[in-house]
Amino acid sequence: MTRALETTSHDTATEATAPARTDEDVDRPDRVFSYRELARLDEALTMSSRETGLYFTLFVGDLGKRTRAQAEELHASSKADPTDSVLIAVSPGQRVVEVVTGAAAARRLPDRACALAVLSMTSSFASGDLVGGLVNGLRQLSDQAGRPPVRRHH
Amino acid sequence: MTVAETLLVYAVAPLVLVAIMAALTLRPDPKARRRRYRPGQPWEHEPLWYSPHTATAAAAGHGVDTAAQPHGRTQAIGSSVYGEVGAGDGSGTTHGTTHGATAGATAATSGAPVVGRGGPLGGARGTW
Repeated sequence: MTRALETTSHDTATEATAPARTDEDVDRPDRVFSYRELARLDEALTMSSRETGLYFTLFVGDLGKRTRAQAEELHASSKADPTDSVLIAVSPGQRVVEVVTGAAAARRLPDRACALAVLSMTSSFASGDLVGGLVNGLRQLSDQAGRPPVRRHH
Repeated sequence: MTVAETLLVYAVAPLVLVAIMAALTLRPDPKARRRRYRPGQPWEHEPLWYSPHTATAAAAGHGVDTAAQPHGRTQAIGSSVYGEVGAGDGSGTTHGTTHGATAGATAATSGAPVVGRGGPLGGARGTW
């Protein structure tokens, strides 16, 4: 019998049955990062992309055995034409961060600049601050990349 | 008023109020405790993929070209905000990103297009 006070789910799940789908917070976006952190990430990504004209994307998750290959595959699937796309892939479980820049993006963001950003990111990650590290890394990368080149009509 | 009454009203009462407010506001946040990341602990969450909003960036680039031509549909103020001439729906705004209009945070599914390699890739890696 369902107890009268069991109000967390709307179907007939009880203690004896498996958890109801509504109990398993399927669609809550704030399972990993809180809403405030998500807002910071969203703003950092969007502002970096708009200011530089490059396409910054962020991946947080496991990268498998060959982290660089996996990151490059993810970069290739980030958008239809990934030459001006920059991917920051961080795997907190494996403690690896990979930055992948497409050909056009790499002209404006040389590997040295990426390495600098990665350095600051890893020091933040080492002290447990994932979101702060990512936001600062994005800011550094967009500062290094500068504004998009202005096209003049003659 | 006696000395004790004075002390009670002007010293103890405000302190008690402050203590109540402190207790209510300085409680440790149960959500933050649960989520603190420490290097070395395994990461069990599913992979997440975040992408930026770039719809307005694309639209702003066309502002200089389209401002000179009056659009039948758009209002006077908006012509530089909207996208290309005659682009689809009656509203005229372009929401052309494939990643949807949510908060910019999407979980990684297999829906992303896999086209092209992006040329000689650069970048960096780091560990901690």
